[in-house]
Amino acid sequence: MTLENKTILVIGGGISGITAAVEAAEVGFEVILIEKEAYLGGRVARTYKYFPKMCPPSCGMEINFKRIRNNPRIKVLTLSEVTKITGDAGNFEVSVRKNPRFVTGRTAIPSSVVDKLSSEIDSDFNLGMNQTKALYYPHPMAFPPQYVLDKEALSPEDRAILENECGEGAIDFDQQPEELTFKVGAIIAATGWSPYDAQKMENLGFGRCENVITNVMMERLSDQTGPTQGRLIRPSDQKEIKNIAFAQCAGSRDEKFLPYCSAVCCMGSLKQARYVLEKDPEAHVSIFYIDIRTISRHEKFYYDLLENDRVTFIKGKVAKVAEDPNTQDLLIEAEDSLQGAKIHQTFDLVVLATGVVPNTAHAKIPYEGLQYDEYGFIRPNGVKGIYSAGCIQRPSDVSRCVRQATGAALKAIQCLKG
Amino acid sequence: MTASVVENRPQDSMAASKGKLVEPDLNFIREISRLGGDSFKKCYQCATCSATCPISPDDKPFPRKEMVWSIWGWKDHLIKDPDVWLCHQCNDCSAVCPREGNPGDILAVIRKYSYLYYAFPKFMGKFLYEPKYLPIIAALPFVILFVIVALFGNFQPEGDIVFKKFLSHPFPLDFLFILVAMFALVSAAVGGMRFWKALQEGPRPPVNNPRGFTAGLIEAVKEVATHKQFNECDKANPRFYSHLLTFYGFVALFITTSLVFLGLYLLDLETPLPLLNPIKILGNLGALAFLIGTGMMLYLRLTDEERAGKNSYNDWLFLGLMFGLAVSGVLTEALRLAGIAVAAYSMYFVHLALILSMMVYFPFSKFAHLLYRTLAIVYYHGYAASASEAKEALMENKQELKDETVQPNAA
Repeated sequence: MTLENKTILVIGGGISGITAAVEAAEVGFEVILIEKEAYLGGRVARTYKYFPKMCPPSCGMEINFKRIRNNPRIKVLTLSEVTKITGDAGNFEVSVRKNPRFVTGRTAIPSSVVDKLSSEIDSDFNLGMNQTKALYYPHPMAFPPQYVLDKEALSPEDRAILENECGEGAIDFDQQPEELTFKVGAIIAATGWSPYDAQKMENLGFGRCENVITNVMMERLSDQTGPTQGRLIRPSDQKEIKNIAFAQCAGSRDEKFLPYCSAVCCMGSLKQARYVLEKDPEAHVSIFYIDIRTISRHEKFYYDLLENDRVTFIKGKVAKVAEDPNTQDLLIEAEDSLQGAKIHQTFDLVVLATGVVPNTAHAKIPYEGLQYDEYGFIRPNGVKGIYSAGCIQRPSDVSRCVRQATGAALKAIQCLKG
Repeated sequence: MTASVVENRPQDSMAASKGKLVEPDLNFIREISRLGGDSFKKCYQCATCSATCPISPDDKPFPRKEMVWSIWGWKDHLIKDPDVWLCHQCNDCSAVCPREGNPGDILAVIRKYSYLYYAFPKFMGKFLYEPKYLPIIAALPFVILFVIVALFGNFQPEGDIVFKKFLSHPFPLDFLFILVAMFALVSAAVGGMRFWKALQEGPRPPVNNPRGFTAGLIEAVKEVATHKQFNECDKANPRFYSHLLTFYGFVALFITTSLVFLGLYLLDLETPLPLLNPIKILGNLGALAFLIGTGMMLYLRLTDEERAGKNSYNDWLFLGLMFGLAVSGVLTEALRLAGIAVAAYSMYFVHLALILSMMVYFPFSKFAHLLYRTLAIVYYHGYAASASEAKEALMENKQELKDETVQPNAA
């Protein structure tokens, strides 16, 4: 028996969702790809370099965007959220809310007009580390390549500028959220992850000390498209970062915070350590850890860094970060447990390796009957016709997400083929 | 390649690199698990506890190393470790422990084990740590005292309430208490000497140029008198005040008792002393401080378990005895002043029995922390820590390790 409806809905336009969508579409299935942000790419779009190859994710992303553009079977809906799913395999009915972009794309918006605007908002793409105009291009590699307008943040003067100086129909201030309904045969959930809230660990100083940042912020700080154009300068005073500490397991493997290991943060920090060393031949890196968890071929990456005399590994978790009120340098308290000695050391910047929280911990996939574990990770294969991929299943690096996504696409296809 | 790098990783400087062999004692692991839980088994050595502890030294800080020694069953190290006694159990470490391993409680358990281990005679320790013996150890002092009063005293003296009519001086009262005190002193001396010897062979052996006993003693007296480290534990630590009150209350009462005792024989002092006599004032103030201090401790233990740590049988036994002493002492005096003879003499009997318990059980109960903790502080400051030297050794060690890690592929 084959099911009638051959359309596959993919929820989430990050690396997992994109992979599942193109894999399914390229073998002939209709795909609807739903993304809640204004652009595709999710967490990977915000990443500076991949480990272990140290190449920029943008080139792989570009290839994926090309595959999407060239494939008429993929329908991409950005700024959209799935609000309800009913029905069964082969016959799901999906409600989607499409939020307004206000920018229609019918006429190009001249950048000279954008420059005139004064209303600003925190850059969501750069995790609030800098500001953008209320009418903004999400990031240089954004797909779809379109401006987005934050109407709420727009001042009346700026609105007048846009109304008078943009071409006819370029911006539609009257756009309303649309409620759309789709009939699909199978669903792939890949709504991704968020970094754990570092402010919960009061001893680590995030939110209290300006020069304590998280690992995902470090990616933005290092990137040419980030808030500092890739220069390693610290948030508080734009001083060059020469002496940087990575605090592993920031909240992870901790019964009071995030009890599990997120599996990717060790490699993440090692990768960041390596590009810091490459960017600045004088920089020194210290990594405070409980255990370095680099499995299989990644172990080589770790051993290479062990041999680098500009990297110090300290086996001991950071117990406390305190800020020097005059210099805004950061004093770290830890015990080097291999030496049996307390460490009180000062750093220019501290990067907290925060863990992976599945987005399903906060926003479940709106279908009755799906199951989640105690941390919010989805239990795979619980419902026929709904499959999952990426970090809502377990914390995974990009290559693992891609493999899971391909597998999920295959499962969806098998379900539809019967 | 992999193997050679692993071999060149720095090892635990306190174990492998110094060539000491860990001899796991499984019975020890079982015993400390029984005495206070086995949460130490959860420890994964993240070392947050040592780094958080405000009073652990920079060189070989605790309690991370004590946790791994517990896991290994390294009894030989733990019972000879002065660090276990530097801890005042503020439980800051337990609060930050990501594994709920409760290092603060584990150190308390090791102290508890040490009371048993150093006890002389040994069976006394056993009596005090098994709840099943509670009826015996509680009743025994009362029975002994009852027999003595029955034989040599007077249960219902006539006339004004004067306690020496109940049990007279010097026989049998002073005779009894001097005997008991001598037993306690001998026990404590043997236990203390064993402990002192053990410290020299423990994980903090004496340094080359120790500052010596006097310097250590000065540090210890300073610490005991000011409770400075105790206060550093946690600025808002209410246990600091309750302990300070209890301590000074106890000291005042001890001085009062000694003065009266000497006064009786040297100056023919007439008891009871008038209320405005300086010695009496000291005694009454001491009693008040002691009562409030022990009362606060009981209250804190009952209401704030997280701060106080896990409560165990011997904590309750000791604290209950101390509070009982305070209450019965104050009541005895109050009833005497109120002129209620039967009640006053009965309360005096209870108070004497409790003093008897305190003295007999001193070297074996938690009360012995007075002995062991003080010795450990003397040892630590006098023999184990010479700050500059410790730092130098550390630097050398670091240098060696650095040399090692620079050429990891030598093999």
